[in-house]
Amino acid sequence: MFRTGSRGTHDTGPAAEALRLVKVTKTYGGGDSEVTALDGITLSLSRGSFTAVMGPSGSGKSTLLQCAAGLDRPDSGIVVVDGAEMTGSGEAELTRFRRSRVGFVFQQYNLLDTLTVVQNTVLPLKLAGRRVDRRRAREILTAVGLGDRLGHRPDQLSGGQRQRVAIARALVTEPRVIFADEPTGALDSRSAREVLRLLQEAVRVHGRTVVMVTHDPVAASYADSVLFLADGRLAGHLHAPTADAVAERLAHLGDDVPAGV
Amino acid sequence: MLVLALRSVRQRPGRLLATLLSAFLGAAIIMTFNSLHDTAGQPGVDSVSAETLTTSASVVGGYGTLLVFFAVASTLTVNVRQRSAELELLRCSGATPAQIKRMVVGEAVVVALAGAALAIGPAMLGGHALLGVFQDSGQVADSVDYAFGPVALVSGVDITLVAAAGAAFLAVRRATRPAVRRGRARTFLAYGALVAGAVSVTTTFAFSATDAALMAAPAYGAILLSVGLAMLAPRLLNGLLAGLSLTGASGWLAVRTLRRRVEHVSGILMSLVLFTAVSTATLTMQSVESDAVAASGLRKSVDAKNLETLNLTVVGIIAVFVCVMLVNSLYAATTYRGGEFGRQRLAGATPGQVLGTVGVETAVLTAVGVLLGSVAALAGIVPFTMVRTDGVLPGQAPGIWLAVSSVAAAVTLGTSLGTARRALRTPAVAAVATVA
Repeated sequence: MFRTGSRGTHDTGPAAEALRLVKVTKTYGGGDSEVTALDGITLSLSRGSFTAVMGPSGSGKSTLLQCAAGLDRPDSGIVVVDGAEMTGSGEAELTRFRRSRVGFVFQQYNLLDTLTVVQNTVLPLKLAGRRVDRRRAREILTAVGLGDRLGHRPDQLSGGQRQRVAIARALVTEPRVIFADEPTGALDSRSAREVLRLLQEAVRVHGRTVVMVTHDPVAASYADSVLFLADGRLAGHLHAPTADAVAERLAHLGDDVPAGV
Repeated sequence: MLVLALRSVRQRPGRLLATLLSAFLGAAIIMTFNSLHDTAGQPGVDSVSAETLTTSASVVGGYGTLLVFFAVASTLTVNVRQRSAELELLRCSGATPAQIKRMVVGEAVVVALAGAALAIGPAMLGGHALLGVFQDSGQVADSVDYAFGPVALVSGVDITLVAAAGAAFLAVRRATRPAVRRGRARTFLAYGALVAGAVSVTTTFAFSATDAALMAAPAYGAILLSVGLAMLAPRLLNGLLAGLSLTGASGWLAVRTLRRRVEHVSGILMSLVLFTAVSTATLTMQSVESDAVAASGLRKSVDAKNLETLNLTVVGIIAVFVCVMLVNSLYAATTYRGGEFGRQRLAGATPGQVLGTVGVETAVLTAVGVLLGSVAALAGIVPFTMVRTDGVLPGQAPGIWLAVSSVAAAVTLGTSLGTARRALRTPAVAAVATVA
């Protein structure tokens, strides 16, 4: 099994494991146009790790994130989040599974334009029927630097500010794992740095586990480790990455002997 | 820019289907009734037949035209609003507001012309059938031949074109100049319609109980009042939403979403108010009329029955038309919300909660629309009943009102929930990505 952990926590029990995938496969289309997006992925991420998933376009990194996050069902294989196996195929079941365990940050923010910053932040709690602690929501928003923007609507905010709202929204339900899909893809470099620092903080201060799909070596360098993906398979990993090392590795991804798969 | 408009029509025939459908139906209705003018104008038609034909063409064709105008306009407004992202993109790629306006208006004109052209055939068949009903009821001589002439063609094409182009012009102006608040013109128009409606309703009292055109004044009045109320409806809805607090995640989300979407739902409210007002008013008046004829004992004959059938046919056509327009604009508006539903789902809403939110929103809309429509209908029914009979409120009114409201609620809820359900079939991630 391919294991990766930021602090070498391989041997601790399953409770320390935030996310585990076992032989996950996913194919799209059928017949001649069949595309294998995930080809038997097996991996394990320990609690409190910050992992970047990288690979060329079409390597399956977005599919990996969606299957791991319960946004899509794999064709076969097992997904375990925080010790609970993802079962059930209906959207409602998957939604209920995600609510307490998983948070999201997307490239396009995916905030609701009709709601204010605070309302967007507490929406997951409302939907889950959980008690809404407005003071806590305000604390989190202040921590991401939006304490003076509580009543604004997304269309009154910059891209960086919107992404910080999305991070606050992902933190408010106190999920075990936060999945980020190209969170800095639509941001200028300054806003991108802020967002990446907030994701780092979510790991170091709040003890969350972050899985981030990105194509940007600089963004990946904020993670504790990087997983490389090519043609739907794991193609190596890099511990304590630097932007240069990641870029170098990406450039020669095709030459690599897949490690540990 | 007209070339761009044509290309844009060709590239997305699906999205313009709603506009085409409303232009087609609207033109068909107008042409059907106005072809009676052409039929009456033929040489050799006896004066009684000519008068009957002209009266019904003027009465029903008149308020039918008014309805068609507003229905087409509201559908088009919904459609142009959905394209704000595309228009923004065009603006960013260097199109001047005038160019964008020409493209959208040009597109509307092309679609309206296509709709009107398609409507000619069905309108001929419809007009022929309508003449047949008149002849069967003995109101028009059997020797009269059906004619489809310039009055039908010109009125049908003109009204559809003016409604489509006018609505597109206003909608695109709003879309390209987001900063300008144009509350005043709307308020002015709304009060104008209310005043005109009130005047029209009041003139009912100038007619005598047996005038053939007695029904025209209160029917026009009720429609004008409903248009005025529909224009003020967003404001009323705003007031209601400010005080409304619903529990549960769906209710909470529905109220907050509606507060921001009041402008977007104004077209749907318009159709809803028109449908309730027109159906309740005309059906009730017709039933009062039939009872009055029956009570007078003068012509309690096959003729009276036939006349009733004829009038109900005409009212039915109009009611079904407005109903189709309501479905049409609701469908267009809900389909467009796939991306929004996707974002709700990604934030942790189950499909059931999304449908619940849509359900609550629709229920609030229906309540407001039916309420305003009922007020307008009542304003037409009461004067008519007072002039035609000795009473004030006819006994059949509550039954008819209940039936119309139930149809309105069923159609509105059915369409928006059905459309939302379909939108939910797209996976959330894909729904968020595809709608720009």
